[in-house]
Amino acid sequence: MSAGGIHTSDPTTGAAPDTLPATRWIEGTPSLHRITSDISRPMEAKPGRGWWICFALASAAVLNLLGMVGYLFAKGIGIWGLNNAVGWAFDITNFVFWIGIGHAGTLISAILLLFRQKWRTSINRSAEAMTIFAVMCAGLFPLIHMGRPWDAFFIFPYFPNQRGPLWVNFRSPLVWDVFAISTYFTISLVFWYLGMIPDLATLRDRAVGGIKKFVFRILSLGWNGSQRTWSRYEIVSLVLAALATPLVLSVHSIVSTDFATSLVPGWHTTIFPPYFVAGAIYSGFGMVLTLLIITRQTMHLERYITVNHLEAMAKVTLLTGSLVGYAYATEFFNAWYSGNVHERFHFINRATGPYAWCFYLMVLCNVLTPQVLWWKRARRSVPLLFVVSILVNVGMWFERFVIIVVGLHRNFLPSAWGMFYPTVFDIGILVGVFGLFFSLFLLFIRALPMIAMWEVKGVSNG
Amino acid sequence: MSRRPTCDEAMPRGDGHDAPLVQIGLPTGARSTGFEATRRDVLSLMGFSLGAIGLGAGCRAPVQHAVPLPSASTEMVPGVPNLYATTCGGCGASCGLVVKQRDGRPIKIEGNEASPLTGGGTCAAGQASVLSLYDDARLRGPVWLGNAVSWSEIDRHITTMLGGGGSDRRAIVLLSPTINSPSTRAVLADFRTRFPGFRHVVHDPMSLAALREANRLAFGAAVVPHFHFDRARVVVALEADFLGTWLAPVEFSRQWARRRTADGTRGFHVQCEAGLSVTGSNADLRLAVAPSELGTVAVALLAAVARRVNDAGLAALNATGLGQTAPHAAAIDRVADALARHRGESLVVTGSDDVATQLVVGKLNALLGNIGGADGPIDLARPSLQAQGDDAGVPALIDDMNRGAVSALIIWGANPVYDHPDGLAFRKALGRVPLTISFADRRDETSAHVHALCPDHHFLESWGDAEPVSGHFSLAQPLIAPLHDTRAGAESLLAWAAPAAGAAGAGKPADHRLYLRDFWRRALYPRAATAAGFDDFWERTLERGVVELPGPAVQTHAFAGDWQGAVRDIVTRASRAGTDHGGYELALHETVGARDGRHANNPWLLELPDPITRLTWGNVASIAPATAAALGVATGDVVTLTTETGKLELPAFVQPGQDRRTISVAVGYGRWAAGKAGDGIGANVYPLARVENGVRRYAARVNVAKAGRRARLAPAQTHFSMEGRDIVQSLTLASLEHEHEHEHEELPNLWRERLHGAHAWGMSIDLDACTGCSACVVACQSENNVPVVGAEQVRKSRIMHWLRIDRYFDGDGEDATTVHQPMMCQHCQHAPCETVCPVLATTTSSEGINQQVYNRCIGTRYCANNCPYKVRRFNWHNYTANDDFPYNMTSPLGRLVLNPDVTVRSRGVMEKCNLCVQRVQLGKNQALLQRRPLADGDVATACQQACPTGAIVFGDLADAGSRVSKLLAGRRAYRVLDDLGTRPNVGYLKKIELKEKA
Amino acid sequence: MRLRGIVFGFVVLGAGGGLLARGATRIGVHQGYAPEQPIAFPHKVHAGDNKIACLYCHSAARTSRHAGIPSASVCMNCHALLEKQTTAIQRLKEAVQQERPIAWTKVHNLPDFVYFNHSQHVVSGVACQRCHGAVEQMDRIEQAAPLTMGWCLGCHRAEAHVPTSTFARVAANVRGRPTPFAGEDCTSCHY
Repeated sequence: MSAGGIHTSDPTTGAAPDTLPATRWIEGTPSLHRITSDISRPMEAKPGRGWWICFALASAAVLNLLGMVGYLFAKGIGIWGLNNAVGWAFDITNFVFWIGIGHAGTLISAILLLFRQKWRTSINRSAEAMTIFAVMCAGLFPLIHMGRPWDAFFIFPYFPNQRGPLWVNFRSPLVWDVFAISTYFTISLVFWYLGMIPDLATLRDRAVGGIKKFVFRILSLGWNGSQRTWSRYEIVSLVLAALATPLVLSVHSIVSTDFATSLVPGWHTTIFPPYFVAGAIYSGFGMVLTLLIITRQTMHLERYITVNHLEAMAKVTLLTGSLVGYAYATEFFNAWYSGNVHERFHFINRATGPYAWCFYLMVLCNVLTPQVLWWKRARRSVPLLFVVSILVNVGMWFERFVIIVVGLHRNFLPSAWGMFYPTVFDIGILVGVFGLFFSLFLLFIRALPMIAMWEVKGVSNG
Repeated sequence: MSRRPTCDEAMPRGDGHDAPLVQIGLPTGARSTGFEATRRDVLSLMGFSLGAIGLGAGCRAPVQHAVPLPSASTEMVPGVPNLYATTCGGCGASCGLVVKQRDGRPIKIEGNEASPLTGGGTCAAGQASVLSLYDDARLRGPVWLGNAVSWSEIDRHITTMLGGGGSDRRAIVLLSPTINSPSTRAVLADFRTRFPGFRHVVHDPMSLAALREANRLAFGAAVVPHFHFDRARVVVALEADFLGTWLAPVEFSRQWARRRTADGTRGFHVQCEAGLSVTGSNADLRLAVAPSELGTVAVALLAAVARRVNDAGLAALNATGLGQTAPHAAAIDRVADALARHRGESLVVTGSDDVATQLVVGKLNALLGNIGGADGPIDLARPSLQAQGDDAGVPALIDDMNRGAVSALIIWGANPVYDHPDGLAFRKALGRVPLTISFADRRDETSAHVHALCPDHHFLESWGDAEPVSGHFSLAQPLIAPLHDTRAGAESLLAWAAPAAGAAGAGKPADHRLYLRDFWRRALYPRAATAAGFDDFWERTLERGVVELPGPAVQTHAFAGDWQGAVRDIVTRASRAGTDHGGYELALHETVGARDGRHANNPWLLELPDPITRLTWGNVASIAPATAAALGVATGDVVTLTTETGKLELPAFVQPGQDRRTISVAVGYGRWAAGKAGDGIGANVYPLARVENGVRRYAARVNVAKAGRRARLAPAQTHFSMEGRDIVQSLTLASLEHEHEHEHEELPNLWRERLHGAHAWGMSIDLDACTGCSACVVACQSENNVPVVGAEQVRKSRIMHWLRIDRYFDGDGEDATTVHQPMMCQHCQHAPCETVCPVLATTTSSEGINQQVYNRCIGTRYCANNCPYKVRRFNWHNYTANDDFPYNMTSPLGRLVLNPDVTVRSRGVMEKCNLCVQRVQLGKNQALLQRRPLADGDVATACQQACPTGAIVFGDLADAGSRVSKLLAGRRAYRVLDDLGTRPNVGYLKKIELKEKA
Repeated sequence: MRLRGIVFGFVVLGAGGGLLARGATRIGVHQGYAPEQPIAFPHKVHAGDNKIACLYCHSAARTSRHAGIPSASVCMNCHALLEKQTTAIQRLKEAVQQERPIAWTKVHNLPDFVYFNHSQHVVSGVACQRCHGAVEQMDRIEQAAPLTMGWCLGCHRAEAHVPTSTFARVAANVRGRPTPFAGEDCTSCHY
């Protein structure tokens, strides 16, 4: 069938995505104007009741977060369940979890751009937004887990200082984190903003004046859509993409060194960098799926975020999920193969100790669940994908929890063994950060084009 | 322009500024970390970067003042500690002390190395006693009928009421624990001359009356002999925790450790007891024996030894065949062999509350020739003067009081309402006495019911002397002017005994110091074979603290006790016990922390993990695993213990090594009028054991039932097995001699070797000498301002102790073996904590000390996670001046105990052992001032100084000649978790295993 | 036109940044702090004109971590004999007669987490003026040095000759008395 066909191809029976003609990444053939108006509708129309409910819940969680963090700063880390045996638990678990979430965005927009993957066009904008919000959430934890944020500036190597000067410990992975994450955040932000400029210009032109027009005029940096602008724009995007690509791998590799460079059994492992990157992309795609499935329903963008997109992401999820499963197996094998009494004990304890249920939950969610995606039907069933994506998020959170807490609570000296029990503040802050993330995202889909119009137009069949 | 200081000087000083009694040159402050400051700095920095404020702005600091003494003192230089010798008042053992006084306040207790008895050791309670000085619960002055009054007024009341001072019908009675102070005994004599009807009743909560009674019967002298464990190659202890709580644990620990030599002359120590004690946990052979069986075991042992020395007189005994019927027959035979092999250099000792058993043991010692002699293990001629308690005294006193035969009762240091089984009766009887006086330092269970409260000084505030062992004298001098309007008990007695107005010498104010000095001139100086005048003698003794003045020997005759009768008695009782085998036996015991309960309001001791159970903040009912299974009880289940004298609810604790027929409960808990910290902690078990024909029993038949509730214990350690890891290593004497023991091979290392500077500080800990007595733990807490965090935080495993004593069991039956391992920062030369700290808050110094910089720490806790020894402690909360933690650091008075040379850590900061670096720096500075190089032994860490067995040795590893270098080069040396390549500067000496195991 | 604007912007930013940096390093530094004292004690007259040795009054500095502020009785060692009378001296004598301590205002304040020991600096031959400035010329004492960690390290780095080689250590011992060296360890001052 010709690409110019009027009728919309039925996803289930229609042309197989992998045979020519290429999968159509938009339902139907909307006119370019139609695309613009469809995508900018959420920004121009009044928000619906669904949006308001979600936003109310999310911002309630944010208020709770503010309260609890305030109390934390006043009272100290003692209000958490941490103790002499377990020095990190929910705090760093959340940190690694959110950093992981922050991976899909740049992967999609940078790597897929370089690989000329057309299906990225309608999801990259929101994925990038998600990345930025996730990194913001992640960045919160290194700060609050010290309990005294006013001293946090010690971690920056600044000069001049009164101390002689006294610098930081460049051997410490926490210092590497500071650089890795701030770099990642900056690049992602720039990339995201740059990608929006043409659309911002469009919005500027659509805006009927007033404050909105003013803001968009500033933000679109006087974009004029000329041939020259476009060609330079394309070049800059490619350059930035090339810059961002290594970061996708570096950030989580470095985060993983927080554990890999220590000598805690279960942390001290060489496979951590690739294993963490895979896990990060896995969880990132899980979150993208969750968000897009919700928004395409509520914002009526099924036309642009098609089942084909979802399927493509499902495939990545399946791949990375299997990688993660493989990593789990490798860890156990190495523990046995090393013959190290502490390593061996750690993994026996992981599978049979007091936190075994977390371990099995994690295996269930991360290794078994994605296997259903071997079936095309499963990959194209939106409700199923939604369930899978949620489970993936749960599983990945527990993965970090298992690594951190099981590693700490029983290691070298049995006399120092302990248990970690979360307090209401641990849980409250966990929930609160989800609230923060979602309220940011909800605001985003209201304030900015959540789909890159100009790119979608590029793949439209109109 | 002169700028005023900005905020960062508004730092809370740890103490000193609110010190009421020291007005000296400069802030003596235990320098609390200035985290306030850093915070404000950052805020103002932010403010600045916002362009909001200029530089000169920012908040103003309260201006700091420095107040010099009105007139210069030659004694006291601000900031320079003074050391004074005195005598410990912590328990009856009266150990010699050297107390560190800084800017006018005592802040640290140390042992007096000059003392021939203790040789510089101390115990946990002694170390903690300095905190009791600053106890908020202490009375501020005398109280008459509930109203605070002046001393002169209360004296007027009392003297008038004492009047002519009783008669033989209506006595004036003094009730006190054993008084081993010669001068005080003289005061009592004077008091008696003034008041003919005066009587002294001695009441020890944990008494040795049975022992003294047995010795009276056997040797004609009711004395507690002076034991010499170091003179015994074989020690057999029946229910006597002489390393932990029995009689004079510090002295005995030292003696015992002298026999822990790593060669053929090593002593062999057998312990027979019901509950696992500190002593039992260190025995080479431990036999679980129920109290009711103790006699049987003694008899069996006597029989077995008799067979070996084939003593004709004992043939009859063998006929009874007890050797066979008694438990552990095989083990007893082996012990008898050892005893017979070492006649004259062995020692059988029992703390049994049964006279018959004591008699049999006496016979056994006599048979083995252990008694008397110049260097015999048992010295009756120069006995111990401790534990002179008379169990019949209190019941008789209660009768007299009820009969109205007591005109006045003076209670000094005793608390019978709490610690006597007839406490309730005693309290009722108090109402029948026209005048009751207490010298207690607080309104405790007993003193709350008296007419006159005449608070005594804390021992660090008062003069005094002691004679713990006849011939061994020790002086006590005040370290500080009395904090409150208190008066020495002896002085009170002297004041009331002063001749009635008008009589000769009336109106002369009693002065305890003069009296003491005069007494020494009269009574003791003549015994000193010295040419020096009295003043020299006095000054030197005061400076040295202790002096030996041999006195007349106690006359005793050879063993003449009716041991056959005792044996018969025991046998019949054993058979009777055999018939009615229902229920269990309750065994009361002391713990190193709570002792007999007198220190109950001392948070350091309350939070001190018990060396055996590792529990803090309360006592438990220790139950053998087998019994627990039978009863369906798990650790933490509340059980009801019912004896014929009362019932009690306590959380159960499943205790390896516990005899399966016994339930052990520690005394000293369950106070209800001790003070804020101590009230309602644990349960009081004293009432459950009664006084039986004149002797107080510490065991009773008990019924155990589940109460159906669970209690939340506060353990400092939750896992008891070493999981087969070689953390505590041991070897046999044989392998020690053996030449071809594999040498410790160097493991490959990725790090560059660390160059050390002038010194490389290290420590060696002898696991064979460490008894787990925990003196070091409290010493460390006291030296380093380690906060008390309370039961709830301990439950969350957030205890702050820098030095902990890990305890592992091998097996969980009655024959479980125990090891103790002091564990603190190992000062790794390749420290895992060091590489991960992002801000260089922890690094290894040029002298090999892993240093923690509190003001640099931002609290990521990464170092703690990466520490394989888990010795780092995080300040989860603010533990100072925080009402959530109402312990000494929150009370202005309690803060006076803080060490001004150690930073008081703030919230969110990591801390840990730093090898007492403040002492290292002080030692180096002293050497510098004296223009000499630092010598080995110049610096001793707090834990090392406190250790009664000398298990801890600190020194310079860069100096190959230093003791620590030699020890750590020896065959027994090893490092914990060596294979991690952390290269610790703290090393351990392996335990020595004797082949004899049950 | 536009270029000039950009240049101007950079200049402003640079200046602001510089100021900020300087400000940041001056926070909590009280160089020049010279508070009023309860009795106007002129060091100039005593240490300067009359050349009284510092350690005569601040004798504790020889043995203690604190230099010590002399008791009023020490003042009277001389002032009992001198007939010179000023209001200040009058107030001093009153204080002595009434055995009333004088609350001087501290000038040199270190944070509580810093351990500084006067005696080891005095015995190592560090001149008082090196930290306290030209006291003998001050009428009212003022903080001359910044007293920051960097400032301390300035000397300590220069003076630190920590023997790290076995030879150096042996040499130090052979020499009998140790040559004082300034520590560079954190625990030289922080514990």
